[in-house]
Amino acid sequence: MNRGPFIFLGVLIILVYSWVAVVYKPNQQVGQLVAVLDPDQGGRLPRQIQGAADHGKEVYQELGCVACHTQQVRIAAGMDIERGWGSRQSVARDYIDQDRVLLGRKRLGPDLSNVGERRPDAAWHLLHLFNPQINSPGSNMPAYSFLYDTREIVGEASSRALEFPEAFAPPVGYEVIPTRKAESLAAYMLSLKVDYDLNEAPKSLEAMADELAVALENAE
Amino acid sequence: MSLFKNIFSSLRPELSGDAENRERERSLDGAIRFPVLTLIKSALVWLVIATVFGLIASIKLHSPGFFADCPILTYGKVEPLFWNTLVYGWLFNAGLACAIFLLTRLGGRSGFSATFLTISIVLWNTGVTLGIIGIMAGEQLPYAWLEFPPFVGPVLFIAFVGIGLSCLLTFHARVYRSSYASQWWILAALFSFAWIYSAAQVMLVHFPAQGAIQALINSWYAENVFGLFVAPLAFATLLYLIPKTLGSHVIGYKYSAHAFWSWIFFASISGVSDMAFGPIPVWVPSLGIMASFGLLLPTTTLSIQFLSSLFRKFSVIWSSATARFLFAGSILFLILMYYKIFGSLRGSLASTQFSLFDSGVDFLALFGFAGMVFTGAIQFILPRLLNKELPSPTIVDLQFWMQLIGVILVSIGLISGGALHGELLNESIANSLAITKTLSSGFFLTTLGMLFLFLSSVCGLFTYFMIILSSRVEAEQNTDLISEAPELEYTAP
Repeated sequence: MNRGPFIFLGVLIILVYSWVAVVYKPNQQVGQLVAVLDPDQGGRLPRQIQGAADHGKEVYQELGCVACHTQQVRIAAGMDIERGWGSRQSVARDYIDQDRVLLGRKRLGPDLSNVGERRPDAAWHLLHLFNPQINSPGSNMPAYSFLYDTREIVGEASSRALEFPEAFAPPVGYEVIPTRKAESLAAYMLSLKVDYDLNEAPKSLEAMADELAVALENAE
Repeated sequence: MSLFKNIFSSLRPELSGDAENRERERSLDGAIRFPVLTLIKSALVWLVIATVFGLIASIKLHSPGFFADCPILTYGKVEPLFWNTLVYGWLFNAGLACAIFLLTRLGGRSGFSATFLTISIVLWNTGVTLGIIGIMAGEQLPYAWLEFPPFVGPVLFIAFVGIGLSCLLTFHARVYRSSYASQWWILAALFSFAWIYSAAQVMLVHFPAQGAIQALINSWYAENVFGLFVAPLAFATLLYLIPKTLGSHVIGYKYSAHAFWSWIFFASISGVSDMAFGPIPVWVPSLGIMASFGLLLPTTTLSIQFLSSLFRKFSVIWSSATARFLFAGSILFLILMYYKIFGSLRGSLASTQFSLFDSGVDFLALFGFAGMVFTGAIQFILPRLLNKELPSPTIVDLQFWMQLIGVILVSIGLISGGALHGELLNESIANSLAITKTLSSGFFLTTLGMLFLFLSSVCGLFTYFMIILSSRVEAEQNTDLISEAPELEYTAP
């Protein structure tokens, strides 16, 4: 152990082994996936997000939403299915379009992989982002009011202005207009839904039992 | 004017006294004084900044209105800011300061140009600053501990190569041809970081792999930053400072090579266990779990080495500030590894996954174990480099206790609060609002702990500036001020 090159070689061999085992092999196994074409489920799977939603993903990344929100559903552990956060296991193919993956490591807030299905209303998201206390009282999510313009109403009120419940309304004569970033973020939220099946994706036991029942019925 | 004179006298001391005493150390100190002081100063400043970010992040968890109107300080930015300043600011600077000091002392010669090293250090800290600004400006990447914007990667890498090269040259130029365990750990840390950082930068930041694989690489990288860089530097520091502060050999030193190779082997794979249940092949986390249990072997060896050496001379721990920090670090290491190893099991993860538990264990590793060891080392290095006494033992005591209390409070808040969080999250269908409400006491505890840590980091910075700025009293002009411990490194126990 008295020579630098010996230590260097030993450490190098271990590191190469670790890289091959943990990075290279899995990358060979599930790192070169392609999209599936399934006309029955509406074409290309996973679905691509476009336009405002795509811009919204950048805003999501920029604000660090990933610090509190995951985008993955597990069936082997946890209560993700029972909570209604999804209906099947997330698999590698679901993420092939994400050049910066937003899988997430913490759930200080709910999982968002299916939030577009749970909350299909853009107005809800715009209010929620402006001030989470409006529709989720007690939440510790920060308010992103800096993504909105509060301005005096000149002439006619804007059609894009948020509609507040009584207690949270801006002063009379003022309106709150979402900026492009807020609009995009809401569009991104609506685009987040895993409403398709993939052959390799395991479903929850209940879902599989239901499918089996239907298949048996058809067979009879 | 006297301040300038004091700084000058700190950096270029004219010492008198017995020429034979500390002559070797004095020439070594002269060669490394400026770069090591630069590293220590940067480390201490980053520590204060990190604790401020940590405090803001933790306040935001229970009072989301705090700084809510400030777009550069949303929780999603402050949280990565905290971890990145902690890792790349505090731990890297402090760890590399220890590495350079140790390599020079153990080798008996410095083999680098102080100017080149200082430029590399300044470049490193510039890179970190750019990264911090980048995150604030919204350029962050969604990878844990790699949030810095893409252009920062090459800057940090070049700076690291500069620092690493200086360390290697020092090792190469050593006078004593045999080597001590601390030197192996330091070399391993330097090789490893250059490798994992470049691999992560290439496969994650510049030419990203496909979606789910990115998360896997991220886990591999983040765990290895601790397991292959921060922890090895802390082990090196412990193995050097334990004999120096206690005046006796490390017990069981002959098992160091086993501990070294088994740690590197298992730690390099263990990180991926936290991907269990995720969208990657099931065998990958299984491999990680096996490797985590392999860590029991080096953990046992190292803990026996550190703790039995420290317990044998327990009285020293009360009288020496450095030994106290080392002792606290060794105990926290054992606790941390318990959580890390048994927390990697699928059974534990089924309950703790996605909760704050993970952050708690990381916190214990970085702030508790490594932070304690490096703080102790800085208090050992400063008086020797400058030939001055630490300005105030009271402040040092205060720093130790506040740091320990802070680490304990935050760890309880995050680890036991996190366990509760995980239980509610993964084993019940309580909604997020109810979970937040239940966790609020844990969040308050974390804030209180971060406050203690902030104060202790201010004490650390205060000590640094006091020792640099104070005028040299007569006793401090004499080389006899500091008696060097016997050189036990190369003699058989």
